[in-house]
Amino acid sequence: MASVPSIIAPPLNLASAAGLRTFSRTLLVVPRKPLSTSSRALRSLRTLCPSNFPCRRLLTARACTDGGNGSADTRQFDFDLFTIGAGSGGVRASRFAATYGAKVAICELPFSTISSERAGGVGGTCVLRGCVPKKLLVYSSKYSHEFEESRGFGWTYEADPKHDWSTLIANKNAELQRLTGIYKNILQNAGVTLIEGRGKIVDPHTVDIDGKYYTARHILISVGGRPNLPDIPGIEYAIDSDAALDLPSIPEKIAIVGGGYIALEFAGIFNGLKSDVHVFIRQKKVLRGFDEEIRNFVSEQMSLRGIEFHTEETPQAIVKSSDGSLSLRTNEGTVDGFSHIMFATGRKPNTQNLGLEDVGVELAKNGAVLVDEYSRTSVDSVWAVGDATDRVNLTPVALMEGGAFAKTVFGNEPTKPDYRAVPSAVFSQPPIGQVGLTEEQAIQECGDVDIFTANFRPLKATLSGLPDRVFMKLIVCANTNKVLGVHLCGEDSPEIIQGIAIAVKAGLTKADFDATVGIHPTSAEELVTMRSPTRKFRKDPSIAMDNSGIEFKSQS
Amino acid sequence: MDSTDRFGIGIRASRAILFLWRGIVMARKMLVDGELGQTIDEEKQYDFDLFVIGAGSGGVRASRTSAAFGAKVAICELPFHPISSEVIGGIGGTCVIRGCVPKKILVYGAQFRGEFEDCRNFGWELSDQIDFNWKKLLHNKTQEITRLNGIYKRLLSNAGVTMFEGEGKLIDAHLVEVTQSDGTTKQYSAKHILIATGSRAQRVNIPGKELAITSDEALSLDELPKRVVILGGGYIAVEFASIWRGLGAEVDLFYRKELPLRGFDDEMRAVVAKNLEGRGIRLHPGTNLSELRNGENGVRVLTDHGDEITADVVLFATGRLPNTKRLNLQAVGVEVDKTGAIKVDEYSRTTVPNIWAVGDVTNRMNLTPVALMEGTCFSKTVFGGQPTKPDYIDIPCAVFCIPPLSVVGLNEQQALEQAKSDILVYTSSFNPMKNTISGRQEKTVMKLVVDSETDKVLGASMCGPDAPEIMQGLAVALKCGATKAQFDGTVGIHPSAAEEFVTMRSITRRVAAGAKPKANI
Repeated sequence: MASVPSIIAPPLNLASAAGLRTFSRTLLVVPRKPLSTSSRALRSLRTLCPSNFPCRRLLTARACTDGGNGSADTRQFDFDLFTIGAGSGGVRASRFAATYGAKVAICELPFSTISSERAGGVGGTCVLRGCVPKKLLVYSSKYSHEFEESRGFGWTYEADPKHDWSTLIANKNAELQRLTGIYKNILQNAGVTLIEGRGKIVDPHTVDIDGKYYTARHILISVGGRPNLPDIPGIEYAIDSDAALDLPSIPEKIAIVGGGYIALEFAGIFNGLKSDVHVFIRQKKVLRGFDEEIRNFVSEQMSLRGIEFHTEETPQAIVKSSDGSLSLRTNEGTVDGFSHIMFATGRKPNTQNLGLEDVGVELAKNGAVLVDEYSRTSVDSVWAVGDATDRVNLTPVALMEGGAFAKTVFGNEPTKPDYRAVPSAVFSQPPIGQVGLTEEQAIQECGDVDIFTANFRPLKATLSGLPDRVFMKLIVCANTNKVLGVHLCGEDSPEIIQGIAIAVKAGLTKADFDATVGIHPTSAEELVTMRSPTRKFRKDPSIAMDNSGIEFKSQS
Repeated sequence: MDSTDRFGIGIRASRAILFLWRGIVMARKMLVDGELGQTIDEEKQYDFDLFVIGAGSGGVRASRTSAAFGAKVAICELPFHPISSEVIGGIGGTCVIRGCVPKKILVYGAQFRGEFEDCRNFGWELSDQIDFNWKKLLHNKTQEITRLNGIYKRLLSNAGVTMFEGEGKLIDAHLVEVTQSDGTTKQYSAKHILIATGSRAQRVNIPGKELAITSDEALSLDELPKRVVILGGGYIAVEFASIWRGLGAEVDLFYRKELPLRGFDDEMRAVVAKNLEGRGIRLHPGTNLSELRNGENGVRVLTDHGDEITADVVLFATGRLPNTKRLNLQAVGVEVDKTGAIKVDEYSRTTVPNIWAVGDVTNRMNLTPVALMEGTCFSKTVFGGQPTKPDYIDIPCAVFCIPPLSVVGLNEQQALEQAKSDILVYTSSFNPMKNTISGRQEKTVMKLVVDSETDKVLGASMCGPDAPEIMQGLAVALKCGATKAQFDGTVGIHPSAAEEFVTMRSITRRVAAGAKPKANI
């Protein structure tokens, strides 16, 4: 990239920069029509191309030399890349692009623990309102379980341990401040210009930040997502996950609406910190999309720890009574006396009022930026990564997308993010780790599937006397012997699944798992000592009976 | 022929087939020899197809899997007791009664101290008075190992294995004598005999050695010691150092080398030493104990540096020796090595063709899962018609010190010795997220050793919380020859410690083959 002189704009003084900006803006207005035609032509060429890869390579080579804009060869931009949003994906993409020699700017809203149209902060959801603060609160809340466990190991307390919420929140916020500072340093050290303010796209090469215009050869949208609350009466009394991570005091009794991972994680946090926790879900089960057995197992275990699940209840209204307490009315009835009602009912891409529609960037119904496999939007010079595209909304996936974007656009190595066997975790208590297909998906995709399961009481629980159990499941394709999916629920599951994910991603077989010697005594060793299938599925049930003699269980 | 078909499937390279074929022919020949022997023996009727001496991990596994192949199996084991000797032991063996399981239970108990320290910055207010009741932990531990002992008995009886309580010894190649606790003896004949008697802790020979205890007693002390001296730098020594420190004792750890855990990666050894010190254990590297004396308020421990320490308990964690002395091995022609370990071939066969041995008694790789593997391979070979060698490549293991160490594959030093090309070393030393709030000053360290030519990951190690649980999955990947590119191609789990293993982007150092490894921690 550095060898292409036209890309990296020479240092500009302010006056000339302003001049250039006007110049490029006028330039842009003129060729807009033919431009979009030509890019459409290119795109249809892409679809004609039998093998996408070499074709993209050609395209990207063009993109690199002239920004995919044949008539703009001579144009100068303030930046090679302007990134809107300094969360996981945006920071990664900016840093990597800068390493490839690109001149990069990134803009981000001012820091706040609660996000809005006007507030955000360098680090993004993961660092400020997601993974990190969530996990810190999980750590804190887990202690109450550990205190209980410790009694079986001979520890006794003169007085029961007490929790002080404000100490936790103060220490958490100090850590977030430290991390946002680290992210700023990372950007600075990579030579990325950080601009505080709200970025808005004015045209395919211009970003407006609070009235100031910046031009860029490429624009990357990485604005992330935000909690989405349904429009029901009294919703103004509800909190979302942003607020839940930064409450002034611990809820006495909280209703959590939602059955997704965020709902379960917060249920665990508040339950561990001794709130009275009620979870309301519309469906019969929590964690739609997860393996059915995991869904059953995790809610059983959470119930045993004192969380009350209200299934098949759809919230209809929140009522505030005169004593200040909140009631949740659902289709089934009303539950009173909540100090807090939290909605964890999904997140929405932050794509409103970004000017995207005006410049022709197509959005999905839910507001997600539509992108191709290389994260390019319907406008050739505009790209998007992370939760804003609503693909797989995980930090490491945003990092992967950001890395792939930088390689494609500035590294001259067209790279598609690879979504196969992406592992993920739910930091519920007990936590979940999973990679690959669920049993239901595996049966659909592979047909002949062997299921190995283990459901056991871990060594720690035999001493603590608590009803904790561990569930593990290995899904194997009967024809290829490949391990298609692994699902764990129990202590340390997220840590255990990472190494397993390497094996699954590498396409390893059940025989490979069996050939591995266990580490004793661990929970994880169970994954390499599962000798006989719990059940087998065959497309033709009679074959299953003939070959295995093992009872065939139907999918239901 | 059947087995050829099975092995032949999917192997295309003719050399591989040839190699396999040779192996099968040899293996078949071996079995045929056995069968030849059998035709002579067949006139004799044996009480059992297999008699196993010792019902630990290896013996129980071999008995059960042999019985599953249709063999008539008996097993003998000494009466149950937490502390082993020539005449007491118990079904379950070292792992269940005096090793892995009770050890890990005590480690769990000890870990809570760190949690009490860490939880305060997470908002918890604990009374200054947190008491630890050793007797309660001991009671619960004994209850648990007694329960497991019962489970093992049930496993055996459900598998149709006949159990005898008593001390087994060989009379001849097909005859075992079991001495019961009342002194009466009975003899049983068997076509095959498997020795799985395990090993026992060994004391070093210094004056006053009888004042020291071994790990057996350490797991069952009546009182929790306040001052402990531990001699040894192996995994047992560091594990007990962590246990006692966690339970509140003052611990002094003495070992001869500069670092504990000889045989592990030097860099990781240094990390463990630093962490032990960080958790309040006093380390005495390069120091030996010269004498133990009875003192007024404890055992007086004299070191070869001329220092003296008084301790309530002195633990010798100075190695283990195979339990082969009273088996009458020599009389029947079973050879042992200098340490008393039974010599076996790759199929666990001793120098007497129908006598076999697995587990610690053979002193190959003394780990429970390895004994299990050897036991299974033995029954496949002898009763399953599938000659199977245990595979000792890429066996993961863990040291349950606090925080634990876990490794798989080659360490940096081994990789350099074996390497034909340069070695790429990736290391990561980071503050785990929990410590950012707790304030604990303890880094988690991870390391990958990669072959620069093949990109294969040759070894992985980690010292930090959850290391043993994390390493198991990496072990599957390594066992199957995973490359660094495959590690990198795996998406991380965020936020976890383990994700660091798939995000190690830059090489810490490149070491030329044959060069001396550097460790700079």
